[in-house]
Formats: sequence, structure tokens, C-alpha cells
Amino acid sequence: MNHYTLSDLTLGMSETFTVTVTAEMMERFYAITGDDSPIHRDAAYAKGRGYPGRVVYGMLGASFFSTLAGVYLPGEHCLLHGVECKFARPIFVGDTLTVSGTISHISEAVGEVEIKATITNQNGQKVTRGILRAGLAQ
Amino acid sequence: MDNQMIFDAVQEIFRDNFDDDTLVLTRETCADDIEDWDSLEQINLLTAMEKKFAIKFKLEDVRGLKNVGDLLDLVVRLTA
Repeated sequence: MNHYTLSDLTLGMSETFTVTVTAEMMERFYAITGDDSPIHRDAAYAKGRGYPGRVVYGMLGASFFSTLAGVYLPGEHCLLHGVECKFARPIFVGDTLTVSGTISHISEAVGEVEIKATITNQNGQKVTRGILRAGLAQ
Repeated sequence: MDNQMIFDAVQEIFRDNFDDDTLVLTRETCADDIEDWDSLEQINLLTAMEKKFAIKFKLEDVRGLKNVGDLLDLVVRLTA
């Protein structure tokens, strides 16, 4: 875990990590949220809608923005104020995702940084884009 | 940028932040007048203004802001 404080951060600083989405993650997400939409739960149904398999919950993918902010950038001293995200392409079980964030604005007066974040799959396709606003200790 | 342009831009930031295209600001408008104007929205408003006007607020600048008039005066001073 990183431990950046506001004064450690500069525009353009970035962090990246990778994660592979597993069927177990899908089960756990379902257990937490109760979202039983067949596009996420039923492979035959998903294929019928033209996808190669179950579509990963968009919010499961976006949940890695929590990890990005809370563990990597800025890490320990972060408290997320907000996340805006767009699900540009579907994610599938087994995809290996590269989660990246870059500091795009620093507001010292209010103790907040803006992080432009992306999630890219193993084929180099951007699947999720996000703007994170993270408060952190001075 | 003259004062009217700054006012218009600030009003646009408020409208965008509170998703209310009918919002009309006066210099006396304060957090008590806008239901969702809480501490988190105050941060969002200030960072949006930093970006819009390419300015940097200091903690002592924003600590005593009481209403839109104070905010406008601060932006005018920092953009002068």
C-alpha cells in the first residue's frame, strides 16, 4: 500500500495494477448485491444476446477504482469523495484488466485530487473510464 | 474576464453541479438556500472553479466564504 499525502502528489503522477476477473468474483459480487440479471448470471442467455459469455458486472469492474485510490494512488490517506465512470466495453470472466490512474488536478485548499482512471483489457481495449475525486490528509 | 462573465461562469458551474438549469444566483445566495450545498458540494464547486478560471485557492481563501458574493470577490481577485 502507498502512503502519499497531498504534499507528495504532483500532476501526472500515475499508478497501475493488474487483476484477472474470476467466476468466484462474480459469485461474491452477486452475493453482496443480489443483482441476478441474467446477462451476468446465465451464459446461455448472454450468448443469446450476442456476447461470448456472461458479462461482468460493470460495477464490479469499477470497484477496482476503489482499490486504485485506496491502495495505490494516493493509498492509505485517501477517502473517496466521488467516482464518475463509463462502461465503454463489456468485460468477460477471465479477462485480465490493467487499472491505471493519473493525477489530473490537485486542490490544496480543499485537500482533494482528481484522478483520471482507465481500465484496459488484455487486448488493449479500454473497457472502463473514470474520474475519481479523492480527499486526503494534508 | 469581466465581473459579469465571471458571474455567468460561476452560475453555470452551480447549475452543472446541482443539475438545475433554472438555478439563479445572487450575491446573497448561501448554503442555506440550496438544499444540496453541503461540504462535499463545496469541494466540488471550488475545484470546478479552480479548473474553469485556472486559479489556485488557498485554505485561508476559502475558509471564511459565507455566500456567493464572497466567492465571486475571491475569483475576481485571483483572476485580476
